[in-house]
Amino acid sequence: MTETAIDVNNISFSYGKLKVIDDMSVAISPGTSYGLLGPNGAGKTTLIRLMVGLLKPSSGSIRCLGKAASRELAHQIGYMPQLPALYNELSVRQNIDFFARIYGMKHKKERSQRVDEVIRLVDLWQKRNAHVNQLSGGMKQRVSLACAIVHRPPLIFLDEPTVGLDPELRVHFWNYFEELIKSGSTLIISSHTFDDAAHCNKLAFMRLGKIVAEGSPRELKQATGKLDATLENAFLYFIRREDKADGK
Amino acid sequence: MASNAIHIAGRVANQIIHDRRTMALILIVPLVVMTLIGLSFPDESVLDYIAPAMLATLALFFSFLLTGISFLRERSQGTMERLMVAPVTRLDIVLGYLLGFFIFALIQTLIIVLFTIYALGINFYGELWQILLFQVVVITGAVTLGIFTSTFAHNEFQMVQFIPLIIVPQIFLCGVIWPVEQMPEYLQWLSVILPLTYAVEGLRDIMLYGFSLADVWVELAVLLGFAILTSILASLTLRKRV
Repeated sequence: MTETAIDVNNISFSYGKLKVIDDMSVAISPGTSYGLLGPNGAGKTTLIRLMVGLLKPSSGSIRCLGKAASRELAHQIGYMPQLPALYNELSVRQNIDFFARIYGMKHKKERSQRVDEVIRLVDLWQKRNAHVNQLSGGMKQRVSLACAIVHRPPLIFLDEPTVGLDPELRVHFWNYFEELIKSGSTLIISSHTFDDAAHCNKLAFMRLGKIVAEGSPRELKQATGKLDATLENAFLYFIRREDKADGK
Repeated sequence: MASNAIHIAGRVANQIIHDRRTMALILIVPLVVMTLIGLSFPDESVLDYIAPAMLATLALFFSFLLTGISFLRERSQGTMERLMVAPVTRLDIVLGYLLGFFIFALIQTLIIVLFTIYALGINFYGELWQILLFQVVVITGAVTLGIFTSTFAHNEFQMVQFIPLIIVPQIFLCGVIWPVEQMPEYLQWLSVILPLTYAVEGLRDIMLYGFSLADVWVELAVLLGFAILTSILASLTLRKRV
């Protein structure tokens, strides 16, 4: 296993003239959950899209599991985009089975068992033959997660995975994420809620394409100097400190 | 690589089969259009002349539209993004779509050809299997053109706008309604670069004059070249347009 699961070195990225990622560096340890926390427009999704190879940085470099973006690396990545990104005309099972196939799970019996396993994991066994367009938003999120993990990837990118989920389902998702981490997977999770952030081993507070602070939830709260500080307090503390340094 | 193209083709076909309304429209709409054309040309000799051109035009039009919209939907619903992260090449995606839609475009063409010949009773002299094989090449180019064009549209509305830009001019410039030779010289030059010109000429030669596929090899070669070119262009533009 490499020392770092992901190495992001001084990357920048712009959409036209708009700079979305500004000279950013991140190192993520394997077998941990790393949360990207920030408001809309902070650059969380763009950073994930850069890390999975959908976008190319205008400068700097990214290495995942010690390798640059490649087809070989793609087998080791699981990606859950912000949209459910599913085939609405197909059933839950057909969607998951399709992604299992394109990730190279050729053995029919083994694939079928794994597809059944992830359907149960996301608690959709009763709905396995239902078409996706008949499912609720939360159920679609669960199918989307199943599609991202069906091939047992060691590196999993989850872009706002808990958006639109009810509290019970959110707990269910996090229990499962913790199981994935225990089994050695590395999770990169973007979110704009502090509930999600509290579950991560390490966090990056992002704003306007920059990381304003990085550390474990505990470290970030302690940095405020207040004993009862919440993550929300910590986020505001670092934002204000950054503004002050910039003379705002 | 080939296995992923086949998985994508299987999934595309599965999606269309499960969408019953689309399936019904694929089968019924061409029959309605050909019936209207048949009724609007009561003169048998005019219908004999127009029918091969209409077969080529409808194959181009329906395959282009069906593929273009479906491919666009793949991008707008986010599944293309997922595919791009997966170990799938751009060629896998283009070939997968080509194979997936090809089956339905072929069924559609078969219905149109058989309906035109047996229900509208047009006179034709070529071999039926050669007509169908020629249409296969026309469909291939139309499907890849649909994929390529859809990479420039951001929504269904924009995709539909490509019909008056890409399909309609070909109907007027490629000898569908009047012979290319009767058009101004500069428009004749334009018709040389449009694929429908070769589809219409080739199909007319087979159906009206009893030519074989070997006799229309130039038209076949141009249409195949067009399909290969649009496949390559679609593959190249795919990643930039996720």
